[in-house]
Amino acid sequence: MSSSPTATTETETTSNNPDKVSAGDLDQSKDETTSGLDEDPEGLKFYHMDLYESKERLDIFPDVQVTEKKGHGVTAEVPEQSGEKDQLEYSSQKEIDELARLYGLEEDKEIVEDFRVEQTPLPGVSDKGETFIQKYNVEHKKIKPQQSVENREQEYGTKIFQDTMQEHDDVSSNSHFDEEAVNNATNRENQRIDTDSKLDKNDSTQSEPTTQHQKEEIADIYCVTCETPIRAFEKLFGIHKEHEVTELSNVIQDVKEEIHNNMCKLEEQIAQLENLAIHLEEIFISVEENVVRQEQNFEIRYNEVMQALTQRYEEKLQTLGEEKREKLESLYDQLVASGKKLDSSRELMESIQELLKSKEKVEFIKTAVNTADRVEEFFKTDTELEISINPEYENKTIDFSDVQQLMDSISAVPAPSAPIVNPQSPNSATGTSVRVCWSPFSEDTVECYQLYYKPVSDDPPTEQQTEFMMKVKETYCTVYNLILNTQYEFWVTALNTTGISPASERAVYVTAPSPPIIKPKDCRSCETAALVRWESGNMNPVDSYTVELCKVSTEDHESDITESIVGIPTCESLIQLDPREKYHIYVRAVNVGGVSERSKPITIHTTGTFFHLNEETAHPLLSILEDGFTIACQEEESLLDFSYHYNSFTRCIAVMGNLIPVKGKHYWEVDTDENVEYRIGVAFEDTNRNGVFGTNNTSWCMRHIVTPSRHKYEFLHCGSTPDVWITIPPRKIGILLDYEKWKLSFFNMDLLQHLYTFSCHFQHLVHPIFALEKPGVLRIRNGVGVPKCLSFF
Amino acid sequence: MIFSFLFKKSAASYLEVELRSKGTRFAEMALKQVSSNKCFEGFQKVFEHDSTELKCRMRFGIYLPPKADTRKCPVLYWLSGLTCTEQNFITKAGHQQAAAEHGLIVVAPDTSPRGCNIEGEDESWDFGTGASFYVNATEESWKTNYRMYSYITEELPQLVNSNFPADPERMSIFGHSMGGHGALICALKNPGKYKSVSAFAPICNPTQCPWGRKAFSGYLGLDQTKWEPYDATLLAKSYSGSQLDILIDQGKDDQFLAAGQLLPDNFIAACTERKIPVVFRLQQGYDHSYFFISTFINDHIKHHAKYLNA
Repeated sequence: MSSSPTATTETETTSNNPDKVSAGDLDQSKDETTSGLDEDPEGLKFYHMDLYESKERLDIFPDVQVTEKKGHGVTAEVPEQSGEKDQLEYSSQKEIDELARLYGLEEDKEIVEDFRVEQTPLPGVSDKGETFIQKYNVEHKKIKPQQSVENREQEYGTKIFQDTMQEHDDVSSNSHFDEEAVNNATNRENQRIDTDSKLDKNDSTQSEPTTQHQKEEIADIYCVTCETPIRAFEKLFGIHKEHEVTELSNVIQDVKEEIHNNMCKLEEQIAQLENLAIHLEEIFISVEENVVRQEQNFEIRYNEVMQALTQRYEEKLQTLGEEKREKLESLYDQLVASGKKLDSSRELMESIQELLKSKEKVEFIKTAVNTADRVEEFFKTDTELEISINPEYENKTIDFSDVQQLMDSISAVPAPSAPIVNPQSPNSATGTSVRVCWSPFSEDTVECYQLYYKPVSDDPPTEQQTEFMMKVKETYCTVYNLILNTQYEFWVTALNTTGISPASERAVYVTAPSPPIIKPKDCRSCETAALVRWESGNMNPVDSYTVELCKVSTEDHESDITESIVGIPTCESLIQLDPREKYHIYVRAVNVGGVSERSKPITIHTTGTFFHLNEETAHPLLSILEDGFTIACQEEESLLDFSYHYNSFTRCIAVMGNLIPVKGKHYWEVDTDENVEYRIGVAFEDTNRNGVFGTNNTSWCMRHIVTPSRHKYEFLHCGSTPDVWITIPPRKIGILLDYEKWKLSFFNMDLLQHLYTFSCHFQHLVHPIFALEKPGVLRIRNGVGVPKCLSFF
Repeated sequence: MIFSFLFKKSAASYLEVELRSKGTRFAEMALKQVSSNKCFEGFQKVFEHDSTELKCRMRFGIYLPPKADTRKCPVLYWLSGLTCTEQNFITKAGHQQAAAEHGLIVVAPDTSPRGCNIEGEDESWDFGTGASFYVNATEESWKTNYRMYSYITEELPQLVNSNFPADPERMSIFGHSMGGHGALICALKNPGKYKSVSAFAPICNPTQCPWGRKAFSGYLGLDQTKWEPYDATLLAKSYSGSQLDILIDQGKDDQFLAAGQLLPDNFIAACTERKIPVVFRLQQGYDHSYFFISTFINDHIKHHAKYLNA
């Protein structure tokens, strides 16, 4: 089958395993196309003709293969060969990857892969009957494949080599190549692509032995003198006989390395240049910006100077004109005066000449004396001949110092613009201090700031309101000695050598509030929660409140573990707690500025339900004693005299307790005397104030009446009671309200005797009620845990 | 899981061993299981045994709560009323759920010896079979077999304590009608023996009512002083012992209340006088039946559980 059997093994392989060979050839030629080494591009074109050949044609070779295999026993060679071929493919893939990486052609890579996948089916189909191609392939194999193989094997580990060899073996031994094999091949191809990345890491030394083996068989060399690859035998016989030669593979590797290095360098350079370009661009922009800004600045400044000069010029002109006018006026005056004098002296001259002309001696004498007196008199008047006015403009020097200053200021730092005071940041204030922050206007040079503040008040501003000023170097300042929960206005000016900025906008800061005041009488608790109420303690409103809880251990040590509930908008909070613990609860007020100090604590024991009596609801005849939990009823007086609170009971002499609004289990006790007549139980908060407990559907109670025959006990709701006889009048009554079981139970706690249980679904929250029907005393005990034995009810 | 399994196993083997040892030592105390039904995760069983006190074969119902698998439980004894057997209570009262919840063993014995071939024992429903009145008879023909008081207070607890995971220190008693009378006298005659007592429509003052007078004269003879130790009201008047919390439910429409057979007022008056704590609830519209009992059985189980599980 092979036309030029230079290397026998190769030929045998080809004839034995046409599928395989063609596969190898395919890969090789593809390799060549992609890697761009010397190759015939025709190879590719022809393969496509053979794609998916009919089965008949595929079946031509298998027979031959089988027989040949038997005859020669070269099977051992086959896998190796195929493995080598296979690796050609890896190499090509690797190179593609590398190129793609170098030139950023990630997308191209995909295309190449697709291309490769398409081609894989070819091996089995390629060269049936296509003698030309086969020839070509075989020919090529003699020269190129081996070179490539050596390269590859140096590059990739034998491990992979073996793996792929096996894969190939499987396919090649499959004599009936069909579409299934095509699929296999495709899959395999995909696998290879996956393994490509691994291949990169392989150490070339691993494949050393195989390389040696290959070298002995065929060696192609490179003529250094001619800088061209030649065949080995040419070194011995051809024109290259005397030339220096080296192994082609080495040369290729060197060249590749060099190219690679160059490429890396170029890449670096490109990156650097790109960075430089970006940087230059940035600078370009900023230069433009700066110039524009400076232009504006210059325009403003020089306009100022021009204006100043113009002004000065006009001023000078004006003064000059005035001087001129003054001088001329005085000169004129002088001229007029001297004219007058001239006239009078002329007159005198004329009169003297007249005199001389007169003949009469007496007349002459008389007149002469008279004239002599006049002349004398005339001479006595001082004749001002000096010119008082200097015709020269005296003040020749022009003062340009201010203009100079103005000119200087153009090149100097501009005076800063108004800074901006930041809004108050949360938690930056205490009760007596705030931390103010501001920012200078961008790019201003500032030496220091002046911070002004004054309290905000709704009153019209008066002179008396003092402003405070501080000099600060930084852009922040903590101002102390302020008043709690008060608003202050702050504004800032910036200073530098050139001048002082306008004042900033005014910003309002607030000091932290004063601590709230817990109202212990309005606080209630049960085993699982506490309701805490407090007064704001601040004149100005605050934003919210924070409650802090500390568990207190048995040794009265407050634990460090503090739980906080934040953002409480109102003056009360229902806090979930753990049962049977002691807590200290604190409240803080919060506003924009910060958090107040802790309030005084309230101590909560979660051993049981704790409530206070609501004094508002107390009937006028009912008095609550100092301890707050003992109620008494005086002898009836005239009821007319009493003033009722709008919320007080008016019919029953009763009072209501403020139970915590938690639907859990609540227990309290009432101590009484055998003969006290009472109604005790629960009622809705809005139960009729003018009603009688137990007679309506808003209250449930146990009633005790002393009849002549016995102590009568009623358990009343809606006016009806079960018929219950109790032989021992209870003195300590336990009342257990259980929302979960919808039950209200009464017990004689001295005996732990269960007396009665109401079963009812309390739609709303109920509160304890205590009423006396006759003078007597009831003592309420709460904050005690539910006795364990009551848990059955 | 494993622990509870082991416990079950050990409880079972304990029971077995106990049964065997008792069987060898007291052959007459051997228990025979008559029936067993799972009920609220526990078991409602009926056993049969030869009674030494009564000299006859006796049956009793016992409810074993699920808790009894792992630990000893308190025992609550139920005494039924006239004409009843051990079956009435266990089938009609519906006590098992509450008993399971509170972990109580509930033992319901028969109301009298049976099949003793005593002349006249089956002549009337309110005397003889099914009407022992829980006394130890002294009259000749009855005194051999009709020792129900001793059976209830001695033999039966011993039997239960030794054969079941029962805590001998914690027991209570309750009953209905004649059984209510039995429960009250057992508690009042043995201060401290029972942690608590309760009753449904008990015959409170048998020496003053027709049923009681008939029975007492039959079992105890005509000497009324011999009746006194079996009358709850009279016992209450002289009671001085550990505190007892008594719960009594009485249907207001009970025909026997109207007939003056029960007389609770006398008992209450006595207790008020002697400061014995009683809560007596006159329940509107209820009669003497097991419908009445099943309505309030949970309250009674709770009442006992409070003391038994304290």
